[in-house]
Amino acid sequence: MGIEDHVPSGVLLTTVEAIAGWTRKASFWPLTMGLACCAIEMMQYGGPRHDAGRWGQEVFRASPRQADLMIVSGRVSQKMAPVVRQLWDQMPNPKWCISMGVCASTGGMFNNYAIIQGVDHIVPVDMYVPGCPPRPDMLIDAVFKLREKELQWGPIGADRDKAISEKEAAALEAPALLEQKGLMR
Amino acid sequence: MSEKNSEGRDPKVVGTADNPVAGPEEVTKGELIAEGTGSASELASGPHAHLDRVLVPQTPTEGPVVTVRKGMWGPGHGSGDTSGFSGMTRIIEMPGTATPPFGGWFDDVADRVAELVPHFASRVMIWRGEITFVVLREKLLEVVKALRDDPALRFEVCMSVSGVHYPEMTGSELHAVYDLLSYTHNRRIRLEVTCPDGDAHIPSVVPVYPMANFHERETWDMFGIIFDGHPALTRILMPDDWVGHPQRKDYPLGGIPVEYKGAVVPPPDERRSYQA
Amino acid sequence: MNPYIPIAGMVVLATVFVLAAIPLSTVIGPARYNRTKYDSFECGLQATPQPTNGGRFSVKYYVTAMLFIMFDIEIVFLYPWAVAFGALDTLAVAAMILFIVTVVVAYYYDLRRGGLDWD
Repeated sequence: MGIEDHVPSGVLLTTVEAIAGWTRKASFWPLTMGLACCAIEMMQYGGPRHDAGRWGQEVFRASPRQADLMIVSGRVSQKMAPVVRQLWDQMPNPKWCISMGVCASTGGMFNNYAIIQGVDHIVPVDMYVPGCPPRPDMLIDAVFKLREKELQWGPIGADRDKAISEKEAAALEAPALLEQKGLMR
Repeated sequence: MSEKNSEGRDPKVVGTADNPVAGPEEVTKGELIAEGTGSASELASGPHAHLDRVLVPQTPTEGPVVTVRKGMWGPGHGSGDTSGFSGMTRIIEMPGTATPPFGGWFDDVADRVAELVPHFASRVMIWRGEITFVVLREKLLEVVKALRDDPALRFEVCMSVSGVHYPEMTGSELHAVYDLLSYTHNRRIRLEVTCPDGDAHIPSVVPVYPMANFHERETWDMFGIIFDGHPALTRILMPDDWVGHPQRKDYPLGGIPVEYKGAVVPPPDERRSYQA
Repeated sequence: MNPYIPIAGMVVLATVFVLAAIPLSTVIGPARYNRTKYDSFECGLQATPQPTNGGRFSVKYYVTAMLFIMFDIEIVFLYPWAVAFGALDTLAVAAMILFIVTVVVAYYYDLRRGGLDWD
């Protein structure tokens, strides 16, 4: 069981990844995590003008069991954080997370006692979308980039284990944000 | 500060310390303002016979100046306040007591309440055509019941219960403000109840206005005013195990420093001054 | 038979697809265990603790269900009798009257004992 996680590496793996990735990105359902103003833009993302149905995303599932993608749109308060985490945990793999808007990415303009400073404090985020609120076009761009990079070429099996250990090693070596010089003039 | 205003409950800009504004603006007679010209004998004989029983005896006529605030936050010049309002000086005050007769339908309301619950208010304030009765804590439930039930008053709904925190008013730091609306008479009044910080108990109006349930929970959550008789006084906005009451004036903003590539920016209330 | 063969084919195809897809996804898909995945979905909150063996409930539900069953069986006997009434003789009427009287006695007892009062 769980054959996907035990596929050995090799030439065949790349083909399998391509096929599996293509099937995943073609039908990729979001979970409604519209918390605040960004949710309005997310609704327009599913609306007629910027139509998410064109690539299979018009069904926003309310139940995490049926969703692949959690779009956290809006500020996450201290009271809401355990709820977001619980819903993330209840989503079956494979799953991805987009943090839409500045409040979900970093806490936005609300640097205070009540708002979590970025939903990446509680769930692992794959794509950050800046904006207050980001236009639906920006969300479309984010979803497309996510589809191209993560879904189409998402590693499975032995490749995935390798990718995880490489990422971890790189993160341990990388300098802290504070130590990077010369970027804020 | 030598100019005492008899109006203006909201903070009013008086200008910087160097250039004080000329004086309080004249209010036209068309607005309902404190008049305070009636004498007790005139009142007792008129159509509103109970207006002398509105206020608790020996109420001072001038309202207290609560405090003077400089700048938007922090100690003014020298703090990280870059909003542009760092030179502003504001006087926070309660307006002077309006003495009966108040004018218009205010007298009908005040008279009827005073008939049912004598000496219920410690102060009455009228500002921009709205009346506020500062009701004594012990008499709150009687007053509210009378306001809801009496046919001449009929304030059916309590639109909101809010809290205010004046840390400088020792003895009555926490206020709870009730906005009442009458559908039948199309009137709005406001009740204000004060309590000291050490004994922050106010009787709950939920038995009379069940719609105030969540509002009182919010006031408890944000200010710490305990409403006696509330069926379930728990936190409603903050998580259930939160410590502290966030909307009090001495509660910190709680921001964290923001890390950029190569720099850290502290939260707004801890930033240094950007002026020499 | 001929017009129905494509329909039968569709039914077979749908069944085969379902029977293939569900086990296939279970076998192939990733299996990363997480305790919350087995919790019931309660909009992100923790599920309210349920009392053991369903908790106690009032007996009036049981009484109502019992009465329903009994009178429903009576109706089951009444329907075929009513449908075939045209071809039956007087004896059938008498027998059914006897049956109904028996059930009515039980109903009267139930009524007076308070079995039909909800509270």
